[in-house]
Amino acid sequence: MITADTRNPSGAPDSGLRITDLHVTVADTPILKGITLAVEPGSVHALMGPNGSGKSTLAFSLTGHPHYAVESGSVTLDGQDLLVLAPDKRAKAGLFLSFQYPSAIPGVKVANFLYAARQAVRPGSLTPAQFRAMLMEKMELLDMDPAFLGRYLNDGFSGGEKKRLEMLQMAVLAPKYAVLDETDSGLDVDALRAVGESVKGLRAGAEGKDTGFLIITHYPRILQHITADVVHVMMDGRIVKEGDASLALRIEREGYDTIREEIGQLV
Amino acid sequence: MSSTAVASATAVPDNLERAIALLESGAAERERRGELLARAFELRSGRERPGRFWKIDVDALDLSGIRVGEACAPQISLPANPAVVAVDLATGMREHREIAQRAWGRAVDPRAAKFAALAAALRNTGAFVYVPADIALDEPIEILYSAQGGALFPSTLVVLERGAQCTVVERLRGAAGTLVCGITEIVSAEGAQVTYAVDQQLDADTQALFTRAARPGKDARVNWALAELGGHLCVSSLEVVVEQPGVHADLAALFFPREDQHVDVNSNVDHRVGNSRSETLVKSAATGRGQGRYLGNIRIAPHAQRTEAALRDDALLLSPKAHIDSIPALEIGANDVKAYHGATVGAIDDEQIFYMTSRGLEPEAAEKMIALGFFEPAIERFPTHALREALRASLEEKVRS
Repeated sequence: MITADTRNPSGAPDSGLRITDLHVTVADTPILKGITLAVEPGSVHALMGPNGSGKSTLAFSLTGHPHYAVESGSVTLDGQDLLVLAPDKRAKAGLFLSFQYPSAIPGVKVANFLYAARQAVRPGSLTPAQFRAMLMEKMELLDMDPAFLGRYLNDGFSGGEKKRLEMLQMAVLAPKYAVLDETDSGLDVDALRAVGESVKGLRAGAEGKDTGFLIITHYPRILQHITADVVHVMMDGRIVKEGDASLALRIEREGYDTIREEIGQLV
Repeated sequence: MSSTAVASATAVPDNLERAIALLESGAAERERRGELLARAFELRSGRERPGRFWKIDVDALDLSGIRVGEACAPQISLPANPAVVAVDLATGMREHREIAQRAWGRAVDPRAAKFAALAAALRNTGAFVYVPADIALDEPIEILYSAQGGALFPSTLVVLERGAQCTVVERLRGAAGTLVCGITEIVSAEGAQVTYAVDQQLDADTQALFTRAARPGKDARVNWALAELGGHLCVSSLEVVVEQPGVHADLAALFFPREDQHVDVNSNVDHRVGNSRSETLVKSAATGRGQGRYLGNIRIAPHAQRTEAALRDDALLLSPKAHIDSIPALEIGANDVKAYHGATVGAIDDEQIFYMTSRGLEPEAAEKMIALGFFEPAIERFPTHALREALRASLEEKVRS
């Protein structure tokens, strides 16, 4: 679980979410063909790429989804081997994934679920009253009606409501490393703004000031709301180019084709 | 004697005939009960085994060993309003004879079904609830049938006059090793509203056989909420006969066979006239080697125009050997109606487990939350906070095991 003591200070040799030469297959088809990248505490990385490049596969592999088979490579979180851990243990180690398509769980109230998740990941850190106060504060920042708390988890939610609930979970759990799967968020201005505000909000708070972010997206637009420190471009399961935020601007202007040409691939 | 009845009539066991003699002193009543007893042994249960894997053959139940308990009375709460009658059945029949006689048998015809006939023949306890016109009772009337010595055959009769409103909670407990076979009837007049909840948590080695039906008046409202949680065997039928316009009927049931429990629930809404609405919601789960069957009937008669009927039936399988048959049966004879039907049968969705565990919940905790959440829409139909919480606790106990 995440406590103040187990946080590694930025710059310690094994700190960060470190992905090294990761190979992943899905139903025997190789999708990730050697991904290497590292997200330092407190930094924002963007992973971009055309559809089919393997972006969501990376997101699901990091959280340990059973359909994704890691063939080789390593993933460590502040020095801890993640690949040997079940999904719930990865969350307890400090990893969070914001789903592009969150599951609906009928009959389970949002409030009860959030409390159970918080207790699992940061046990005993807040009294129920403090938790409720924190919840209200976060919901207000996200412009969410308190009535949400009594609704069933993602059940009958619009896309925007689901996105807000993912961001609320991120705010409540204050993970060490947050992977945001925004591959299909596209031009949904409302969703993009909610994500942008949530990332800022988390970084501005006490619990999330060292949170590292990996934002996985097809469209550069989300990076208008969040400034990335590093931008990685993924194609056909490999990272083919890296740069700073200006790389994202270039993709917005030119698309992925010029990058393809640059690295010698045909369209 | 109907021609469909006699399959192979079984001889009536002596001990049951003797039981009638002990329960009833009047000759006419003894004869009536005797006829009903014979009828019970002529009729088939209507709950045929779909195959050999079905553990229990309801028609082969050996009723000869039943020790019928002495006549007794349930515990009944005292209504706050003295105009409302809530008494044991014998008292009710004595002090409100006309009302009781008029209503008796109008919702459940004891000659028409095996276990209704058995219940009526051997009736040894019961309750009578009567709400006069335009009286609305806020606090629920609570009836507790607690089977302690011998088989129990309760008959509960609820009669509401025009514009009356009440809630009844029927609880069934105890009965170690024996049988509880009962009838519940609700007869209501124009504009009356009644919510009737059943909290059945009989002991694990009991057999529970129940026939429950309502016959609402014009513009009347009936809400049934059944929790069939106990008993080794539970055979339950629930019905609303809609023969007046403007009726609004809600039926909700939940059951959860585990270990080797066996639950068989029928519901039936018979829209004989139009301009009425019904909604049936059934949530069932099974774990261990539990078996369940739900048969959901909606009938809309040819001239019952502008009827709206919905049937929602979901089953959750929590173990490899658990088994639930879910059978919807919609018979729609009219053309200007709305009929909805939705059903699911399956195990917990792996994606739901993954989503919850990705937030730190352990897989068992996630499964438990999902299984309990599954029942919530049905639990919400039960009338009091205390009852809902008690049911949640019982379900949690079942999931945990």
